[in-house]
Amino acid sequence: MKPPTFSYVAPGSVEEVTRLLASDPDAKIISGGQSLMPLLAMRLAGPSMLVDLKAVNGLARIGIGETEITIGARVTHHDIESSAELASALPLLPFVARFIAHPQIRSRGTLGGSVAHSDPSAEWPTVLLAMDATIDVVGPRGGRSIAVDDFFTGPFTSSMAFDEVLVAVRVPRADRRWAFQEAARKAGDYGLAIVAVTAGVDADGRLHGCRVAVGACVGTTTRLRDVEDAIDGAVPGETLAARAEAVARDSVQPISDIHGSSEYRRRLLGNLVRRAVTDLTNGQ
Amino acid sequence: MDETLQHIKTPVVAARAIGTRVLRSEDPRLLSGRGVFLADTVLPGELHAAFVRSPVAHARITRIDVSAALALPGVFLAWTGTDVLPHCEGLVGEFAVPGCNATTMPLLATGEVVYVGEPVAVVVAESRYAAEDAAELIEWDFEELPVVVSADAALAGGDVANSQLPDNIGITGGATYGDVELAFEQADQVVSGRYYTGRVSAAPMETRGVIASYEWASGQLRVWSGSQMPHFVRYCLTAYLGFPEQCVEVIAPDTGGGFGQKAHVYVEEMLLPLLSRELDRPVKWVEDRRENLMAGTHAHEQYVDIAYALDDTGRITAVRTDALGDGGAYHAPPWSMAVEPWCAVVMTPTGIYDVPAAEYSYTAVATNKTPIGAYRGVGYMAGTLARECLADDAARALGMSPFDFRRSNVVREFPWTNPQNIVYDEGSWLETIDALEEMVDYTAFLQRQAELRLQGRYLGLGLSCFVESSGESTATSKEHGLGDVYHDTATVRMDPNGTATVTVGLTAQGQGLATTMGQMAADTLGIRVEDITVRMATSTSQAYGSGTVGSRGAVIASGAVARAGGIIREKVRAVAAHMLEASENDIELADGTASVAGAPDAKVAIADVAAAIYFDMTAWPEGFDPTLEATLAYDTARPMFSNGGHAMIVELDPDTGFVRFEKVFSVEDCGTVINPNVVEGQIRGGVVQGIGAAVFEELSYDASGQLLSTTFLDYGLPTMDVAPPFEIRHLETPSAHTASGVKGMGESGLIAAPAAVLNAVNDALTPFGAVLRELPLTPEKVFSAMNGSSAGEAS
Ligand SMILES: Cc1cc2nc3c(=O)[nH]c(=O)nc-3n(C[C@H](O)[C@H](O)[C@H](O)COP(=O)(O)OP(=O)(O)OC[C@H]3O[C@@H](n4cnc5c(N)ncnc54)[C@H](O)[C@@H]3O)c2cc1C
Repeated sequence: MKPPTFSYVAPGSVEEVTRLLASDPDAKIISGGQSLMPLLAMRLAGPSMLVDLKAVNGLARIGIGETEITIGARVTHHDIESSAELASALPLLPFVARFIAHPQIRSRGTLGGSVAHSDPSAEWPTVLLAMDATIDVVGPRGGRSIAVDDFFTGPFTSSMAFDEVLVAVRVPRADRRWAFQEAARKAGDYGLAIVAVTAGVDADGRLHGCRVAVGACVGTTTRLRDVEDAIDGAVPGETLAARAEAVARDSVQPISDIHGSSEYRRRLLGNLVRRAVTDLTNGQ
Repeated sequence: MDETLQHIKTPVVAARAIGTRVLRSEDPRLLSGRGVFLADTVLPGELHAAFVRSPVAHARITRIDVSAALALPGVFLAWTGTDVLPHCEGLVGEFAVPGCNATTMPLLATGEVVYVGEPVAVVVAESRYAAEDAAELIEWDFEELPVVVSADAALAGGDVANSQLPDNIGITGGATYGDVELAFEQADQVVSGRYYTGRVSAAPMETRGVIASYEWASGQLRVWSGSQMPHFVRYCLTAYLGFPEQCVEVIAPDTGGGFGQKAHVYVEEMLLPLLSRELDRPVKWVEDRRENLMAGTHAHEQYVDIAYALDDTGRITAVRTDALGDGGAYHAPPWSMAVEPWCAVVMTPTGIYDVPAAEYSYTAVATNKTPIGAYRGVGYMAGTLARECLADDAARALGMSPFDFRRSNVVREFPWTNPQNIVYDEGSWLETIDALEEMVDYTAFLQRQAELRLQGRYLGLGLSCFVESSGESTATSKEHGLGDVYHDTATVRMDPNGTATVTVGLTAQGQGLATTMGQMAADTLGIRVEDITVRMATSTSQAYGSGTVGSRGAVIASGAVARAGGIIREKVRAVAAHMLEASENDIELADGTASVAGAPDAKVAIADVAAAIYFDMTAWPEGFDPTLEATLAYDTARPMFSNGGHAMIVELDPDTGFVRFEKVFSVEDCGTVINPNVVEGQIRGGVVQGIGAAVFEELSYDASGQLLSTTFLDYGLPTMDVAPPFEIRHLETPSAHTASGVKGMGESGLIAAPAAVLNAVNDALTPFGAVLRELPLTPEKVFSAMNGSSAGEAS
C-alpha cells in the first residue's frame, strides 16, 4: 500500500494551480488527502503530479453574510463541526459534520475535497443538494458558479472540468426547516442510506419549496422530486410522513452490494424519508 | 509422556499480590507510544519485500516473467515459485488423526494458484515503494480453473479446489458415545438446527510482518516476527530450510494483537530468511491491511447441524452434532483445518449439560478461499453457538425460560465424567446460570420487554453458558486423542538486593502477562511486585515456550514461575533459617521479610538473606549451593476446564434492522483470579470480538472466489461506540492442579458471546415469528425477519 511515483507542487495562487492542471491532464489536486491518499496507496489512482492547495491563501475561511454563507474549499470537516457561527447561522452543517468519518479524518478532510470528489456516499453532497448551494470554481478561463442541481453528474463525477479548482461553496441563509437522517452501522461509517430535507413553512403550517436529497444508497447523489412534489403544500405530520415513505420507495432504484441488497435499501430509504419528514414536523 | 510436570507443592503462604488489581506494568510503555513493534525495527542496510498475490481464485500459471521488474532501478531480486522450490517444497499441513489428508503449501505458488491472495512472486528492493512498483511489472499469464467457493459444493465433489485434495476432503471423522440412536428413538421431542458461523478475520491491530537478517560470516540467522509461537517458527526454519537451529534466533518484538492468527507458521516467515541469505542483506516485509485480510488466515466458517433428544421433563437425553468446515485452500500449519470442525464437536461436546449420550462427526473441505486458521477460541465458538442456541430453541419449544431449561440440564456434581470419559474436576456451572439470572433481574426484564413491545420497541435477552478447555497442555491433548506435547520454562533469578528477574517462554501480544507473572513471582518469593521485573519471551534465546495459545498463558507460565521460583524460595528459607537459628520448616516469606512462625520478632529482610547468599558464606548452612537462579518447565498434569456465561440485552431497530447492544452481563470462573483488571480486560475484548463476529464482520466472496472485503471500509470491525457497558462477576473455583488454582480464560469471551447475541436477537424477534441461525446478523437479515420480506434468511 505505497503510492506509485508522482511529483508534488504547492503553488501559492489559484491561477498557478489551474495553470499546472491545464498543463498536465494527469495532474490532480490534493486538499486534505483523505480520499485521494487511500486511492494512491491502493494504486487505484496514479496521478503524475499532485498540486497541493495548502499554500493558496484565502481558501479556509467561513464568511457569514446577510443572505448567504460562504465556506472556502479548504475549510475542514472539523472547522465546520466546531464553528460557533455556523452553529447559530446554519446548524444543519455542524450537525452533519459529526457523521463524517472519525475525528482524525475530520481534522484533515475538507469540504471542497468532499464536494469535488463527489462520492455519492458522502454527507456533504447530499446536504448541499438539499440546501440549494452554489459551487464556485475557477479555471484557466476564469471563474464560474455552478448550481448544486447541476453539479453531481454521476458516481465520483461532477460538472467541474479537470483543470478547474473548487474555491468555495455558498449556501443561502433562508428561514427553512431541515432534517437529516443517516443509517450508518457504526459512528464514522459511510451510511447505507442518507436523506437530507429542507423546506419552508408558510403561515398556515404548509411546506413549500421542499428539497429532498438522497445519498449512499444510490449511484449519484440526487433529489427525490416525486417526494418533494408529494409533500409540497402539505402540512407535515404522521400521514404525510407515511405518504412520503411510500413515494420514496417507488421513486428510486437503489444500488446493491455486500452491505445490503437494492430491495433492503429501498425499504430503508423509505423509512429514513419517513423519519426525516416526521422531524420536519418538530421544526428543527 | 504419562507423568506431566507438577509445580512444586510449596503452598503460596501469603496471597499478597495475587487477586489484587495491580496496574499493568506494560502500560506506561505501551500507552505512551514507547513500544517497539516490528515495523519500528530498522536494521542498517535493510531491503524491502513485496509480494505479487493471485488476483484469481483458481488458475494454472502458464507463464511468468520477472525481467521488467528486475530492470527497475533499486530492485535487487525477483523470485517465483521455481526459484524457491529447490530450497523448500512447502509447508506441510496435517492433523495427526485418521481421516486427515495432508496438503503442502508452497512458499510461492508453482503451477496452480488456489485462492485470491496466494503469493505468486516476491520482489526485494531498496524501499517498499520500489518493491511495489516492481511487483506491478511482473507479467504472468494463467488459465482459469473451475472454482469451489462453498462448503456444500466442495462436499458434493466434481470440481476440485486444490489438486492435492481430489475429493476436496481435508479431514473427516466422528465418534459415538452411549446409545444415541436409542435415545433419539425414545425421545418425546427432538429439536434441531443448522447454524452458520460466518467467515471472519482475527484482524489484529498490527498486521503480520517478518524481518530476516542472515550473516554469512557467523552463519547466524535472526528473524523478527510477531509470532505467538517463536520457538516453533525457529524449529521450522531448521526443519524446512536447514538453518542449524543453534544459529537461529527468532525475535518477537512488541506485538499488537495476535488472537491466533499469529499462532501459525507462514510461508512469508520461511521465505524472508532465504531472501536475506541470497542477498546478504536484512530483508523486511510489513504486511499491509489488504494483504492481511486476504492472506492472513481466515477464521470460523462452519455449518453445524445439531439435534437434542428431549424427554418430557425437559432433559436432554442425547446430542448429535455434525460440523462442516469450509477450510479454504490448504491446511494452515500447524493446526490444520481441524482447528474449526474438529474442535467444535470433539472438545466439550455436551457443553455444560449432563447429557449421557453424544455422537459427533466433523468434516473440513477445501475451497478456493484463504486457509482457515486459529482465532481465539477456535472451533469452540461454533460448538457453543450450536449448543447454546439450540438450548434456547428447546426452551422455546418446551415453553420454559432459558434459565430453567439450562438449570434442568446442567451438571451439578463434580468430578463429572462426560460421555467421552473425560473427567471434569470442578466447576460452577449451575452457579453461573443462577448468577446471570440474578444479574439481569429476569422478572424485571420480562416486564420491561413486554411494555416496550407495546410501544413498538423490540428488546431481546440472550444467554450463553460455556465450559472451556483451558491451559492447552499435553494432558488435554492426550485425553482428546492427540499426541501433542506442550511445556514451557521460566527462569527466576534473585539479585543481591532481594529483587528478582523472571523470564518466561511465552510471548505477549498485549494481554498483560508480564503483570500477572510478576504477581505470581511476588507471592512465590514473598517480595513486593514492584521488586520484580518480568521479561516475556522476546527471543528464542530466552526461556522455552510452546506458544501463547489455547488459554494457556496464565496457567502454564504461572506454573513454571512457581516451580522455578519455588527453588529460589527454598534457598532463601534455608539461609534465613540458618541466620535466625530456626528450623527451615518454620520460615515464612511475605512482604519482603523472612520470619519464624510463632515468633514474630525473629525475622530478617529477604534483601539481607539475598545479600548473604551472594556475599557472606558464614550465613550459609552446611553444603549450601548459592545459585540463585533456576529454570524449570511446567505442564498441567490433567486437562482443566474453566466456565462461565454471558447474558446480553439487545434492541432491534425495525426501520433499519440494526442491532443495538444495551448491556452485557458476564460471569467468569477461571479459578483463582490473579488480577481482576486483566481478566476483565480479556472478557471485554473477547466479547466485543464476539459481537463483531455475530453482527458486524464478514469476509464476503463472490461466485468467482473473489474476496470482496479487503479493507476496513468493507470489513466492519466493531468500534467503541457499539461496544456495550459490562457488568462482570467473578466466581472462583480453583483447580487443584495448577499454581495457586489458576485456570485459563483468554478465549472465553469470543467462545460464548456470539451465541448470546444470536439468542438475544431471536428473543427480540419472537413477536415476528422468525428465528435466525446464520451469522453475521446483518441489518438486512434482521430487517427481513422483522418485516417478513424475502431478502435475508428468516425461517
Ligand atoms: C477512514 C475514512 C472514513 C471516511 N468516512 C467518511 C464519511 O463517513 N463520510 C464522508 O463524507 N467522507 C468520509 N471520508 C472521506 C473524507 O471525508 C474526505 O476528507 C473527503 O471525502 C475528501 O476531502 P479531502 O480534502 O480529504 O480531499 P482529497 O482527498 O485531497 O481529494 C479528493 C478528490 O477531490 C479533488 N479535490 C480536492 N480538493 C479540490 C478542489 N478544491 N478543487 C478541485 N478538486 C479538488 C482531488 O483531486 C481528489 O480527486 C472518509 C475517509 C476515510 C479515510
